[in-house]
Amino acid sequence: MNVTQREATTSREREVQLIGRARGGDRIALRELVDLHKDRLFAFIWRMVRDHHEAEDICQDAFLKAFASLDTFSTEYRFSTWLFTIGYRVCLNRLRRKRPFSGDLDFSAMAAEGGASPSATLESEEAGRVRASIWSAVDRLSPPQRATILLFYRNDFGCQEIARVLQLPLATVKSHLHRARARLRELLEALPDQDWSNFRNLSERAG
Amino acid sequence: MRCEEARQLFDAYLDGELSPSLATELGVHRVRCAECRRSLALLEVSGHIISSDRDPVAVPDDFSERLLACVDVREHGWVAKVRRTLYFVGPLAAAAVIAMAFLGFFDRGRDSRVAGVKVEPTHVEAGAPRPNASAPYDREAADRAIDQWIGQMQANRADKAQTGESTPKPPDLTILQILEMLKDANEGGPELHHFPGADLNELFGPPDEHPVDDEDVEDL
Ligand SMILES: [Zn+2]
Repeated sequence: MNVTQREATTSREREVQLIGRARGGDRIALRELVDLHKDRLFAFIWRMVRDHHEAEDICQDAFLKAFASLDTFSTEYRFSTWLFTIGYRVCLNRLRRKRPFSGDLDFSAMAAEGGASPSATLESEEAGRVRASIWSAVDRLSPPQRATILLFYRNDFGCQEIARVLQLPLATVKSHLHRARARLRELLEALPDQDWSNFRNLSERAG
Repeated sequence: MRCEEARQLFDAYLDGELSPSLATELGVHRVRCAECRRSLALLEVSGHIISSDRDPVAVPDDFSERLLACVDVREHGWVAKVRRTLYFVGPLAAAAVIAMAFLGFFDRGRDSRVAGVKVEPTHVEAGAPRPNASAPYDREAADRAIDQWIGQMQANRADKAQTGESTPKPPDLTILQILEMLKDANEGGPELHHFPGADLNELFGPPDEHPVDDEDVEDL
């Protein structure tokens, strides 16, 4: 067993312990569960609904629902999987009531997004536009495709775990991933040519 | 290798699932073909940005406090939800619960316990509709239905391209039927992703109140 596996086992054991204590009414354990997962869950939900207050509301709702079902939750699964499953379902219910996006991508309007750059190569104005365009394209995916892409890339969930979160067969999740990438490609190929130099530079670093 | 073939390998390549020989072939094509080079670069960079970009928003500092404050407020609501779960367990469990309640089991640590989620004696809803857990899993039928639906969508898009008119969507009934089939398939199949015990329907109501999968949302 390597260091990473040992760490994972320890964190799983810790999680099972926390859930046991939370079931018994231990508020400190509950608090710890919230603190462990709130950032990632909130970020995922915010990317799904794109509204800060609504994301907070959904995040809270997801935690409360997860706590309400703690007694029946099987610790054979990761708590985060269950939490994201509930969070995603609440998102879907809210998104159904909202009007979806319409119209074409507005590259200029989105340049401000993602100002916190992970690398110096992304500092230029064009690179900012590229990044904003990518996120805008993600926004245009259907909710299951968007959730799949976010969970896969941002949360390091495997397809099997995404299938649990989305409550879909594994093959459907793989199809969502495939179609999401195709759609991203389609949307992003509309980028102005001068921005492609950034893609190429970044591609060498990403690869 | 032609572009069409190359493009079919993009996903496997990005997921690291390509055999070494195909990866080499794709690599060679990539060097020679500007179009595919551009497409792959786009996908790689998108993946990189989506993975590593920081979010411009963060969960509020007092989120945990406010959430935990709700735990007490919603205590009774939770008990009500837990009650509903009991009809799955049946009258026997309810009787056991009542017996335990008589023994004072649930009065321990009442102030701090999460919503007393453990239990409350309750009536059992007899004859409540149940998901059809015994329906045989028919993966092939579900796949055929999906293929049919995709075919229909593509045909509609082709019509639209030819006539220049706005294309009517596939009839809702068909989509609903397919979703229904997928749900049925989900009930008993080997690729089931239900969480034993914890049932989403308990939290969200029956499945037909929410979309299971909505490929069509982006087109709405
Ligand atoms: Zn090519």
